[in-house]
Amino acid sequence: MKDFFRNNGALILVIAVLLAAITAVSSYVLQGVPNPLANVLGVITTPIRNGISSFAGWAEGIYNYSFQYDELQAENARLRKEIAELEAKAREGEADSKENERLRTLLGLRQKRREFDFESATVTARGSSNWASTLTLSKGAEQGVQAGNCVVDEAGNLVGIIEEAGANWSTMITITDATLEMGALIARTDSTAVLEGDFTLMAEGKLKLTYLPENTELITGDLVLTSSMGGNYPSGLVAGTIESIHTDASGMSRYAVIVPAADLDDLVQVFIIKAFDIVE
Amino acid sequence: MTRQDFILKWLFYALALLPVWWMDTFVLGRFPVLGVAPMLLPVAAVAVAVLEGALAGAGFGLAVGVLCDAVYFGGHGFLTLGLCLIGWGAGAAAQYVLSRNFGGCLLCAAAGLVLIDTVRVFTGLFTGLAPLPALLRVALPEVLWSLCFACLLYPWFTWVRRRIIHFLRL
Repeated sequence: MKDFFRNNGALILVIAVLLAAITAVSSYVLQGVPNPLANVLGVITTPIRNGISSFAGWAEGIYNYSFQYDELQAENARLRKEIAELEAKAREGEADSKENERLRTLLGLRQKRREFDFESATVTARGSSNWASTLTLSKGAEQGVQAGNCVVDEAGNLVGIIEEAGANWSTMITITDATLEMGALIARTDSTAVLEGDFTLMAEGKLKLTYLPENTELITGDLVLTSSMGGNYPSGLVAGTIESIHTDASGMSRYAVIVPAADLDDLVQVFIIKAFDIVE
Repeated sequence: MTRQDFILKWLFYALALLPVWWMDTFVLGRFPVLGVAPMLLPVAAVAVAVLEGALAGAGFGLAVGVLCDAVYFGGHGFLTLGLCLIGWGAGAAAQYVLSRNFGGCLLCAAAGLVLIDTVRVFTGLFTGLAPLPALLRVALPEVLWSLCFACLLYPWFTWVRRRIIHFLRL
């Protein structure tokens, strides 16, 4: 038996145990930072992933141009109309903002302020595990990205949170990941709740809103924003809308199912919020 | 086999693993079947182990495991040890108990995938990730869908092995 093990890789098994222990300990100690080997492999594979991602984007563009030209034209016309409407609203809003500013000065209130330090990044890979919902991004610690930074899409909708920042890459968990937990605000009722990832809903690309306010009627389509609870994440980012409201198995509390506002399946470019300054 | 032959042989296997990793990372995750993406790398490790025996299986499994833990999120060393053990076990089983053919590979791959997902299910239960039925709804289709790829991966690595033998005149 001893010879069998000696001739059949006992030494390799010992090395595997040691390597696994080192990886486990370094993951525990270096919270938010990948272990050196993962970092080096990430640095090496990032250009490859960027290349593949760019090629896929190019191929998709060609496909869209060739086979969906009419649809794209119709979408373009619709978007032009929407831009014109939004520009009109923005002009009205500008006047309201100035009035608001004057009134705040009169009342001696602090000026509202929302300043974000963004870092643009592309999605270079999607997590292939069925047990977590992750994306790999093209920016990392060299660009000032840190674990805990929020990631939004071009419309400012919350996409997820950076979990690990390598040198020139980072891994984020999306808002549907089962481990996500953050404060939320229901926009219509101005009441607080908690956004929670749920393993079952993760497969459907949805998440849960728990600790719902008891005396508030919530309706389908209510907008859910991030809250500044804890101060770790910026407030006012759109997380999604309420799809349905349920009572949990114990019958004691309610929860809502949230559909994320960001289209997590087709994300190409995202923006990492490296720092923020919000005064409300 | 000379030292150079040894290095070339494993270089070929490493190159053969690249398209598998590419499919796993960039393609198959985009097209889930039964709501899940397959795990190709453990099946690849088992296929090579069945073809090459316990010692080589453990070594290749270790290398694939290190790659998985480094490239994929949330491994924490589990796959380094897991794939080394699975490679070793599959190689030993094919060498001493089963035969070195597709059937042997399929049995070993099934055992390996079940082992990986059993650990994941227990970890999920222990950490309160989800109740057992929810975890099984992911684990079972994942094992079955991944096993289907043994039909492609075993012939692929068998062909690579033949090319290696031919190229190195072993």
